[in-house]
Amino acid sequence: MSNILSVLIFFPLIAGVFGFFVNKNSIRVYGIVVAAAEFLLSLWLWMSFDTTDAGMQFVEKISLIPEFGISYYLGVDGISLFIVILSTLMTLLGIVALSIKEDLKNMIITLLFLEVAMIGVFVSLDVILFYIFWEFSLVPMLYIIGAWGGPKKLYAAIKFFIYTFAGSLVMLVGILYLAYIYHATTGVWSFSLTDWYGLLLPTDVQTILFWAFFLGFAIKVPMFPFHTWLPYAHGQAPTVGSVILAAVLLKMGSYGFVRFSLPLFPDASVAFILPIAILAIIMIIYTAMVAYAQKDMKQVIAYSSISHMGVIILGTFAMNVEGISGSIFQMLSHGIVSGALFMLVGVIYDRRHTKLMSEFGGLAKVMPTYATIFVVMTMASVGLPLTIGFIGEYLSLAGFFKVSPIMTILAGTSIIVGAVYMLSVVKKSFFGPLANPENEKLKDLDSKELWALVPLVAIVIWLGVYPKPVLEPIDNSTKALVQLMHKKAQTDKAKKIILVSKDAKEAK
Amino acid sequence: MENLVYIALFAPLVSSLFAALFAQKPKIQLVGIVTSILIGISLLASVTLLLDIHESGKAVSVTLMDWIQAGDMDIKFGFTVDQVTAVMMSVVTLVSTVVHVYSNYYMESDKSFNRFFSYLSAFVFSMMVLVMSDNFLGLFIGWEGVGVCSWLLIGFWYERKDETRDVNPSISPSWAANEAFIMNRIADLGMLVGIFMIYWNLGTVKYSEVFAHLDQLSHGMLVGIGIALFIGAMGKSAQFPLHTWLADAMEGPTPVSALIHAATMVTAGVYLVIRANPLYSQIPEVGYFIAVVGTFVAIFAASMALVNRDLKRVIAYSTLSQLGYMFAAAGLGAYWVALFHLAAHAFFKALLFIGAGNVMHAMHDELDMFKMGGLKKQMGWTFFYMGLASLALSGIYPLAGFFSKDTILEVAFNEHTYGIWFTLWLTAGLTAFYSFRQVFLVFFGDERYHEIGAHPHEAKAYALWAMAPLAILAVIFGFYKEDFVEFVTKLLPAYEMSEHTHHMVWILTLVTTAIALTGIIVAFIKYSKGLKRDLNFEQNNKLYKLLYNQYYIPVLYEKAFAKPYKELSDIAWQEIDMQVVDATVDGIAKAVETTGDVSRRAQNGNLSTYLKWMAAGLIFVTLITVISVVIK
Repeated sequence: MSNILSVLIFFPLIAGVFGFFVNKNSIRVYGIVVAAAEFLLSLWLWMSFDTTDAGMQFVEKISLIPEFGISYYLGVDGISLFIVILSTLMTLLGIVALSIKEDLKNMIITLLFLEVAMIGVFVSLDVILFYIFWEFSLVPMLYIIGAWGGPKKLYAAIKFFIYTFAGSLVMLVGILYLAYIYHATTGVWSFSLTDWYGLLLPTDVQTILFWAFFLGFAIKVPMFPFHTWLPYAHGQAPTVGSVILAAVLLKMGSYGFVRFSLPLFPDASVAFILPIAILAIIMIIYTAMVAYAQKDMKQVIAYSSISHMGVIILGTFAMNVEGISGSIFQMLSHGIVSGALFMLVGVIYDRRHTKLMSEFGGLAKVMPTYATIFVVMTMASVGLPLTIGFIGEYLSLAGFFKVSPIMTILAGTSIIVGAVYMLSVVKKSFFGPLANPENEKLKDLDSKELWALVPLVAIVIWLGVYPKPVLEPIDNSTKALVQLMHKKAQTDKAKKIILVSKDAKEAK
Repeated sequence: MENLVYIALFAPLVSSLFAALFAQKPKIQLVGIVTSILIGISLLASVTLLLDIHESGKAVSVTLMDWIQAGDMDIKFGFTVDQVTAVMMSVVTLVSTVVHVYSNYYMESDKSFNRFFSYLSAFVFSMMVLVMSDNFLGLFIGWEGVGVCSWLLIGFWYERKDETRDVNPSISPSWAANEAFIMNRIADLGMLVGIFMIYWNLGTVKYSEVFAHLDQLSHGMLVGIGIALFIGAMGKSAQFPLHTWLADAMEGPTPVSALIHAATMVTAGVYLVIRANPLYSQIPEVGYFIAVVGTFVAIFAASMALVNRDLKRVIAYSTLSQLGYMFAAAGLGAYWVALFHLAAHAFFKALLFIGAGNVMHAMHDELDMFKMGGLKKQMGWTFFYMGLASLALSGIYPLAGFFSKDTILEVAFNEHTYGIWFTLWLTAGLTAFYSFRQVFLVFFGDERYHEIGAHPHEAKAYALWAMAPLAILAVIFGFYKEDFVEFVTKLLPAYEMSEHTHHMVWILTLVTTAIALTGIIVAFIKYSKGLKRDLNFEQNNKLYKLLYNQYYIPVLYEKAFAKPYKELSDIAWQEIDMQVVDATVDGIAKAVETTGDVSRRAQNGNLSTYLKWMAAGLIFVTLITVISVVIK
């Protein structure tokens, strides 16, 4: 199966279209079967992935519009492989845990279309194709928030759509400009990313393009001060929407930085480490404080996402293998952990129809399994060693320490402020006396919820103890990426700061 | 030998997982028994390793598997059992075994019996990882692991509600647990920074490689690393100013206090300094700073213990004070002395805490010593144990504390740091006083417990038997000082006293014993005949109130940090995020909408309006053309 990537993209698409004809009563089973099959396919991709090869694998290239060099060009490397698997996994678990009754059929079909978009974004190597999937991903999410959301769903959905869309348009202009430069330099049109990697851009052009792409990515991540769409989207989205949004969609932004900004504009990336790092530190500390101020449990998790994305951005801009590998691993970790936390919030919301922590307290007594899983995810979220959350956070911070010890110490307060808001959620919701009589008869997790959550607990511990199967391919591809950046770097500063790892140097 | 390493390490993990299987079930006695046996197995393995290393003089190293590899970073799960580790392992597992057996008694009617054992064994596992790891990041795993177990166990009775500080100075178990976790996290950041510095300068975090290449580092870098690591140590060992969590941690069940917050976890910071002795030996100025901090904490904590009425808090302050002694020794370069006191302290302090547990059981969880008294009659054995432990703590010959504490004082004298010596000497007197104040208030004098309707009873026989090993060690451990020195100085630098100190030793011993005895006698005169309270003094004496309220530091922290942080967070959300950042976004959207709305009005379908606009446009364009021509 050399065209496995096409299969991964088109299988949910076709299955989604077929979904319209499936009987309403069996749509749930249908959705789970399709998502499970897709997940197994992605696992198969991993199994047949050559972990020693740092380059693009399973490459498919069909020319679409040869006049403009646009092609159907797919490929996967260590950096994107696991985000693809994360997408299929979270879609599957999201469908398993679905508690929505009305319009279930449309919801499942929407989720399958969303899956197409997510995988498309992460495996596209043609920039136009990438951009199409990137924008296409907005539509299902708009629909999920707008149709199944809370009382302010339309406001939240439209804000989400227009805000991220506006950023993407600036990025599109950047893409077209870059293609124009490519044509001007080489005399041929191409939108293939691997072709673009070979381009040496003057630093002033890099600067313009860097900020154009930045806007698209930063709103998606979302970076401070472009983050305010996120609390609304999470606040109004149904559980499954929040799970996918936090676990995968935000990663599109941070993935964009790694895939586009760093290798295409290495000098500009190095030049703007300082402003980016300042934004990242504001994200870490400021949003952690905002998270601490929340009264709604889901909003705490929503803001905590921004805080954790700050660490990811910081790791990405560490410009060394430790930091970038760490940030990619942290993307996965955050996907798993925040996805699980949003599911957990959904559990209590289904039972009590409120997310206000003042309504809870003492839940550990009536829902011990729920409390246990919540605490495990809390610990992963605050980056406890031997959970998945530690590895990425540690590596990201360690990587950035090489760039600036002082800023790393500021960013490192993430381990303190993170503990403050997460432990306060645990204390307010699960500890203390069971004061509210409405909570006395709450049922602990049912089998459906356990099926969705237990795999995530297992992953949290497995990858915390033994990250190698995932970290090794990431690390290999990152080494190649950093080497490419180092090779392309023109300014002395960039040559100095972009740090090629020792064994890669020896291999040369 | 490798197998023994794995058995010692993983038996507690198996134990914890086994108990976790039944965590939500009602009490199963078997869980208590099986976990105790498994921890006992770990003890046996540890002691066998200790004896083996004693025999062979060689450390045992194993590498389990890879952990983190990224870039040039290569971190494995590696464990080394050398002399220091073997001592730590034996101490940890011994106290753990005793506490596990004892907990069968102490927690016998708790509904979360099984869950308790799961947490307790998980703690032992984390502690073993902490002391056995052969690299800094492995130590950090254990470091954070014990932190979480401590969090779980302090907050074990999570359902209790928050009280105000005058009802319960620790507010509630869950509050105290969070405080402990967050405060430790502050220090952990320091530790992480230390690890980063080590990694980027030496390319490894493995002890053996790091210590072998310290000479490549500049002095400033060594100082930086030394301070960063010590900040980490300050959190776990509750050194000033990160000390408030330890007293509040007494909200946990008493066996937890004995194991975690007296004998083992809180000594992790001391262990770190001892472990990093090749580093600290090169930076004596940082060592001196550590010694000063330790000395300050010794007397600072002892002063708070003088007036406290809470049975467990007094012991907690005394733990804090003794940790100060250990840091003083380690900071002055006498690493083996610090380790010796660490071990001796673990035995007698755990004994003291467990004794306090017996008293609490007898008094139906009453902790106010002013409501006890005369318990010697009903609780002869507990009195004996606690009395013994207090004598050891006071440093009375021939108990363990005499040998270990006296040596620390000798070191301070030998280093010519007379200020440190004097402070520690004075503290020895305070220690003796508050320890025996406690003994006399609890066991002697009038039986004040009738007022609260308590019916005291002695603990069960097996609980008392479980305490015996600690009591025996508290008595005899000191006599093994020579063997201990010979054993651990194969790894740690030998600390030799100067000729001058040698001549002075007997005088030093005499004055130290004298002040300790004085403390005991004062306590005897004041408290053995019953409690005579001077309410006027308690309410109006400023010094008394200062000490009783822990120098108002918890309140200060609340007012200076916790509250402003909360208020600032609220401002960040309500005022900045909502009113500025989001309002700007919505403002831009609004502006776009308004612009559209206004320009929409132009398209009203009225032909004459369009004609007017056209004419205006025409004139405008003509004007511009004319002007540009004229200017040219």
